[in-house]
Amino acid sequence: MSQGVSAGGPAQEIAFAPGSAILEIDNLRTHFFTQAGVVRAVDGVSYTLRAGETLGIVGESGCGKSVTALSVLRLVASPPGRIVGGTIRLGGTNLLELAESEMEAIRGNEISMIFQEPMTSLNPLLTVGRQISEAIVLHQGLPPREAMDKAVDMLRRVSIPEPERRIHAYPHQLSGGMRQRVMIAMALSCNPKVLIADEPTTALDVTIQAQILELMRELQDTFGTAIVLITHDMGVVAENADRVIVMYAGRKVEEADARMLFESPGHPYTRGLLGSIPKLDVAARLDAHRNRLNEIKGMVPSLNDLPEGCTFAPRCEFATDQCHAAYPPLTQHRPGHLIACWHADKLLAGVA
Amino acid sequence: MTAADIVPGIANGASGGQPLIEVRGLKKHFPILKGLFSRPAGTVYAVDGVSFHINHGETLGLVGESGCGKSTVGRTLLKLMEPTAGQIILRGEDITDHNQGRMLPYRRQMQMIYQDPYASLNPRMSAGEIVGEPMVIHRVAAGDERRDRVAALFKRVGLRPELMGSYPHEFSGGQRQRIGIARALALSPELVVGDEPVSALDVSIQAQIINLLMDLQDEFKLSYLFVAHDLAVVEHLSHRVAVMYLGRIVELTDKTSLFDMPLHPYTEALLSAVPIPKYSARSRKRVILKGDVPSPINPPKGCHFHERCLYAYARCREETPVLREVMPAHLAACHLHDDGVKLPLGRPAAA
Repeated sequence: MSQGVSAGGPAQEIAFAPGSAILEIDNLRTHFFTQAGVVRAVDGVSYTLRAGETLGIVGESGCGKSVTALSVLRLVASPPGRIVGGTIRLGGTNLLELAESEMEAIRGNEISMIFQEPMTSLNPLLTVGRQISEAIVLHQGLPPREAMDKAVDMLRRVSIPEPERRIHAYPHQLSGGMRQRVMIAMALSCNPKVLIADEPTTALDVTIQAQILELMRELQDTFGTAIVLITHDMGVVAENADRVIVMYAGRKVEEADARMLFESPGHPYTRGLLGSIPKLDVAARLDAHRNRLNEIKGMVPSLNDLPEGCTFAPRCEFATDQCHAAYPPLTQHRPGHLIACWHADKLLAGVA
Repeated sequence: MTAADIVPGIANGASGGQPLIEVRGLKKHFPILKGLFSRPAGTVYAVDGVSFHINHGETLGLVGESGCGKSTVGRTLLKLMEPTAGQIILRGEDITDHNQGRMLPYRRQMQMIYQDPYASLNPRMSAGEIVGEPMVIHRVAAGDERRDRVAALFKRVGLRPELMGSYPHEFSGGQRQRIGIARALALSPELVVGDEPVSALDVSIQAQIINLLMDLQDEFKLSYLFVAHDLAVVEHLSHRVAVMYLGRIVELTDKTSLFDMPLHPYTEALLSAVPIPKYSARSRKRVILKGDVPSPINPPKGCHFHERCLYAYARCREETPVLREVMPAHLAACHLHDDGVKLPLGRPAAA
C-alpha cells in the first residue's frame, strides 16, 4: 500500500522513531582508485543511527556495506581507497575533518567495531587480558592493575567461564565463539556510544551464533549502545534489527523499520533476496514437491563498470526504459520507508 | 500423507528394493602424531559408527556443526579416505576393501562437488579442460566428441560454451561452482556428494545453484548426499535428513518429520537457533544451548550431547544411546524416548 507521502521528493532522512541521532552519515562516497579504474564501493550513502537502536545493513558481497563501516572509523586503506565526499557526524562533529590523533581518541572509545573473524583483530602474541586492558588504559586512563580488574569484569559480562583464568589465555587457546566474546568484551570495555558489528556471527556455528546474538542484545540493554549490524543473513537482521538498510552496488536502495521491510518490502532487489532464501518454516515441506526458489538472474555488476540508470535494472523483472535511462531517487513512499525504485509505488500497491 | 508417500523405501529400507548406496557402522579415526618419531598421542574420532543408505533419485541431507564429521562421512563414502571400520555397499556390492584399481569403474558412478570451487579447480587448466578431464581419465570420449560433450555440459549448467577456453580466475564464484558441477556430471554419475556446495555463495547466486542441483537431479535421476550446515538449505533440497553431532548420527528421518517433530534435543536446539527471515519470527520461543561443541579428540562419555542438553539425566552421562526407530521411519538416539515417545520437545520451527 502506498500512501504516497512526499513521493517524488529527494532522499530525506526523517525522524520517525524516538531516540536522538548519534551517528549521521550524509552522502558518503568512498572510492578505490585502481589500475582497472575507479571502483565506486560506496556511492552516496546516507543513514542516521539513533541512541539505543540496532540498525541492520544487509546486502551481498561487494555492495559496500563493510566499506561504509570502515569509512566511519576512517580505516579504509589509502591508497587505493579514499573518502571522496560526504560527512560523518558523531554528535555534531564531522569525523572526516578530524586530525588522525583526534580520530584515535574516537576509535575504540566512542565507536568500536567487531569483525567476522576475531583472529584477524586479536594479537596472537598477547594474552586476552593484556589486549582488553590496554584499550582501557589508553582511553580511560586507568592504572594497569585496575584496567586488568575491569578486563576480568568485562569477560564475566560476556559470559566467559572462569574469567580470572581466561584473562591469561592467548587467543589461539580459545574457541571461535569464545574469541568473538573476547572481541565484544574489548569493544564494549570503554562503553562506546556506537558499536559497529561487521558480520559478527558469520564464521560461527548456528548454536554459537544464537548465543552471541543473545549476548549482544543483553549488552545493548545494559549499556544502551547503538549497534550497526552488518550482515548478509536476512534471518539475523529480521530477528535483531530495529531498522534495516538494504544496499546494492554501493548505494542504499531501501530503508524501513524491520517489520515494514520484511512484511512489505518495496524494492525489487529486497523482494528478490527474500524470495531466494529457503525458509525453514514455509509450507513447502508440507507437500512432497520441492519448490524452486526464486532466482535473481545474473549477478552483481562490477563496481568499476556500472550500468547506466538503475544498477539493478539488468537483473530486474520490472525494469522499463526509464530504469535503464536514469537512476531512481531514494524517496519516501510511506512514513519511514525509503525506496530507490521508479516502480516502488506500483510494487507496494501490488499492481506490478 | 505419510512419509512413505514422499520417498519410497524410507529409513529402514522398508520398501522399494535395494538402495543405491549403504554404509554400515562407518568409522573414521585419525591418529594424532606427536614429536620427532611421530608417536601416536591420541585419536580424533571424526566419524564414530554411522549407518545410513541413499535411494535412487533421493537426496539425503547431512547436517551438523563444524567438526561433527559430516564432511569426513562424505569423503569416506566415496573412498577418498579409507574408512577405519564399517562397510560401504554400492548396489549390494561391498566396496569397502577395493583398492585404487578396482575402485576405478566405481568412481565414475560417484562424484563430488566441493564448497570452494576456486580451491578445487586447477588454476592452470581451462574450464573446458577441467570439465573434460574425467572423460580423459576414464577414456570415455576423445577429440571432437569430448569437445561436444563438454559444450553440452556447459549449456546444461548455465554456462556459455564460448567460455570453455577461459581459466577459473576469470569466472565469478557462482560460475565456478557451475564448472565444478559440470565436471561432476561429466561421467554421468549416479551419486553426487555435495560438500557445502552453496555455502560460499551469495544468497541470490545460492538460489540459482540450488535450483540447478534440483533440476539436474530430476533430469538425470541423481542421488545426492548433501552435506551442509545451513538447515534451511538442507530442508529445501533433501528428502530425508540425518543430523550429526560429534561423529554420530543423532536423528534420521524424512524432512517433514524432522522439522515438524524433532525427537532429539540437539535437533530441537539446532532448529530453534536458525534465524528466520521474518519479522514474526522474533516472538518465537528459543532454545539457546550453553557451551561449545566438545572436542572429537576426547568426546564426553555416554551421550556425546549430554553436557549441553537441557533434558540430560544420570543415564545420559553413562550410557551411549543407540540410534533406533522411535516412531515409524523416524530414528533418534536419545534415552528420553525409551518408555515410549515423550515430547517435552517443543516445536521450535515457527509456524
